[in-house]
Amino acid sequence: MRNFLAKTVAVGAIAALALTGCGSGRDGDSGSGSGDSAKGFPADSLIGVALPAKTSENWVLAGDLFTNGLKEAGFKSDVQYAGASTTVADQQAQITAMVTKGAKVIVIGATDAAQLSTQVAAAHQAGAKVIAYDRLITNTPDLDYYVAFDNFKVGQLQAQALLEGMKAKKPNGPYNIELFSGSPDDNNAGVFFNGAMDVLKPEIDKGNVVVASKQTEVKQTAIQGWKAEGAQARMDQLLTSTYGNKELDGVLSPNDTLARAIITSIKGAGKPVPVVTGQDSEVESVKSIMAGEQYMTINKDTRNLVKETIAMVQALQKGETPQVNDKESYNNGSKVVETYLLPPVAVTKANAAEAYANDPKLAPLTK
Amino acid sequence: MSRYKDLQKNLFGGTTSNARQFGMIFTLVAIVVLFQILTDGLTLRSDNLIALFQQNSYILILAIGMLMVIVAGHIDLSVGSVAAFTGILVAKAMFEWSLPWPLAILFGLAIGAAIGAWQGFWVAYIGVPAFIVTLAGMLLFRGGNQFIGNANTIPVPEGFRVIGSGFLPEVGPNTGYNNLTLLLGLAACVAVVWREFQARKTRHAMDADPAPMWISVLRMAVMVGVIVFVTLRFASGRVGTSFPVSGIILVALMLAYSFYTRNTAGGRHIYAVGGNSRAAELSGVKLKRVNFFVMMNMSTLAALAGMIFVARSAASGPQDGNGWELDAIAAVFIGGAAVSGGIGTISGSIVGGLVMAVLNNGLQLLGVGTDRVQIIKGLVLLLAVALDVYNKSQGRFSIIGSLTRNFRRDPPGSSPSPAASTADREPATTAPS
Repeated sequence: MRNFLAKTVAVGAIAALALTGCGSGRDGDSGSGSGDSAKGFPADSLIGVALPAKTSENWVLAGDLFTNGLKEAGFKSDVQYAGASTTVADQQAQITAMVTKGAKVIVIGATDAAQLSTQVAAAHQAGAKVIAYDRLITNTPDLDYYVAFDNFKVGQLQAQALLEGMKAKKPNGPYNIELFSGSPDDNNAGVFFNGAMDVLKPEIDKGNVVVASKQTEVKQTAIQGWKAEGAQARMDQLLTSTYGNKELDGVLSPNDTLARAIITSIKGAGKPVPVVTGQDSEVESVKSIMAGEQYMTINKDTRNLVKETIAMVQALQKGETPQVNDKESYNNGSKVVETYLLPPVAVTKANAAEAYANDPKLAPLTK
Repeated sequence: MSRYKDLQKNLFGGTTSNARQFGMIFTLVAIVVLFQILTDGLTLRSDNLIALFQQNSYILILAIGMLMVIVAGHIDLSVGSVAAFTGILVAKAMFEWSLPWPLAILFGLAIGAAIGAWQGFWVAYIGVPAFIVTLAGMLLFRGGNQFIGNANTIPVPEGFRVIGSGFLPEVGPNTGYNNLTLLLGLAACVAVVWREFQARKTRHAMDADPAPMWISVLRMAVMVGVIVFVTLRFASGRVGTSFPVSGIILVALMLAYSFYTRNTAGGRHIYAVGGNSRAAELSGVKLKRVNFFVMMNMSTLAALAGMIFVARSAASGPQDGNGWELDAIAAVFIGGAAVSGGIGTISGSIVGGLVMAVLNNGLQLLGVGTDRVQIIKGLVLLLAVALDVYNKSQGRFSIIGSLTRNFRRDPPGSSPSPAASTADREPATTAPS
């Protein structure tokens, strides 16, 4: 009989839920609407932050900075990372959940720049502002702002440092180099690569720099998902196919994780470590630079980027127009997105102590 | 006590597998109620329900096919890759050859069927275990996806996006609700009532005991109540939203495949093959044909799921389909299918998939990170199947099975009832009872 009761309760629960549902009108759920967003929103509103999977230290740091920074600014925050395997679907679900919870601003570090337009549109319709953080979200007219480091500049700095580094080791060319680029689904990867080629192309045309494997297409150089093992495997193959009796002078690597994988591969093959570029100032890479292995990295201080993003959120909260410094360059396929660009800094062993002076984690490593 | 026995036997079906399914429905309701309270009413808000269906319809569609594969005693690891492969081909076809989107959908289904025929051929006619064939397929079609797409993300046109993120149009007078959703709900209510009376009539004609009238009424009241509630929720979302198109595709497939697996000879053959393939073959079931069919069907559904995901994402990307096979397999096992084959139902798998979906959604609404969500989902899967295995080894069936010993001495389901909601008896001999 107890069991019968359990079922009656279950049935009752369903019926009760059914009854509560009947009362709800249609417009009650539609949120504040985008019309009154110009007036700002309450200072303790929910701010959603959707970041990609925890594949690099940078994202973990960004998540912590957002959690603390938004709390200090008086907002409620919901900071989420995509899962390791089902990244896109996770991020879509997370953004939708943030919209449901009534977030006023949603900051998105996209895991795939082109697969979020449906969710961004939903956020826009619910009256939330959407800020693309670090990665531009493409093919949507509903994106409001973009905050990032100047990524074309990043590529240029990497290429310049690569040339300088090789010159310092061996005064005269031609230099043998290999090119790596980031994940093809990350909008930034192409920008880094184009920035670097902007500097390298004239040198390659002059014959001063030689890509010995002849693999210069983005398609050939790309490492899916920014995965270290992908870069390591590609480097292994390049060493076997091209550098049996040739000397490798430099490798253009788009970031630190890939740079270390490339160095691991080269060391594994028993070759001298060439000039390898990087980006992100990851702890292990800064150590590697101080030890004289990796040649350079880019310091894109995540603190500044997060600070700038939160400043935008605060401006939106007060109903003001957030500060931007580029209203032309970033076309996402549907519109030109108003952008705030921060300048990146190239770091080698020579200027590391100076560059990381304000970074509590990296400063001790440079002493 | 007899009223209670009537209820047990008729309201939720008399067989043991239905008892387990009821356990899952109960779990689903419990999870929904739990999250409804924890999230302060967000879970059952219309925009969240809509999102829930849109986010999970493709996994649930996969679960339908996967159920049939698993019932037949196989497994399919390639569904995610097949979905991604189809997605990129369809996106490219529309992007580069400007194929109109309705044709592109047919094109995608044809690719799915062709891949399925390829896999079915190896499984059914060469006799390579499905695990190996689909493991190979997983690599093959993932590679194909990267090869064709160059690991790029390719956008799809507006019209195509309807199947993934579209809604029913707003037509008719302004009722404050989406009228077409209301009509769908009404149709569902009528169907439930009609089926109930039809079932009573059939039992009458076959001289079987029809369920007592009060049980029929109660059952109808519960079903209609749930449908009315869900309909009103879906119909009362933001203007321009309704029951999602992907949800309609899902429901249509669910009804069609439920009917097929329950009420047709072809469908029952799948259970026969999974229960005891030797016996099935000796009784005249065309083993190869059944195996071929389930594999081909699975890949076709995977192609559809892939297209729905691409439509929802507005683009086909290189990460599509990663890990989908595991979500679909988890849904099927949570929904009560047996690892050894021969047991399981479509509706059970859908409920199993919904349990995972609601869990995922609720935890996300609570702001729980994906790391912990994965841990919780893993534990739920393990416990759900462990409970099943443990109960079987104990010779009883489910949470409530253990509380109803006297009921089990009754012969289950006194007649081969076509009534959909009552009996779903497996002909398989593996079920101890």
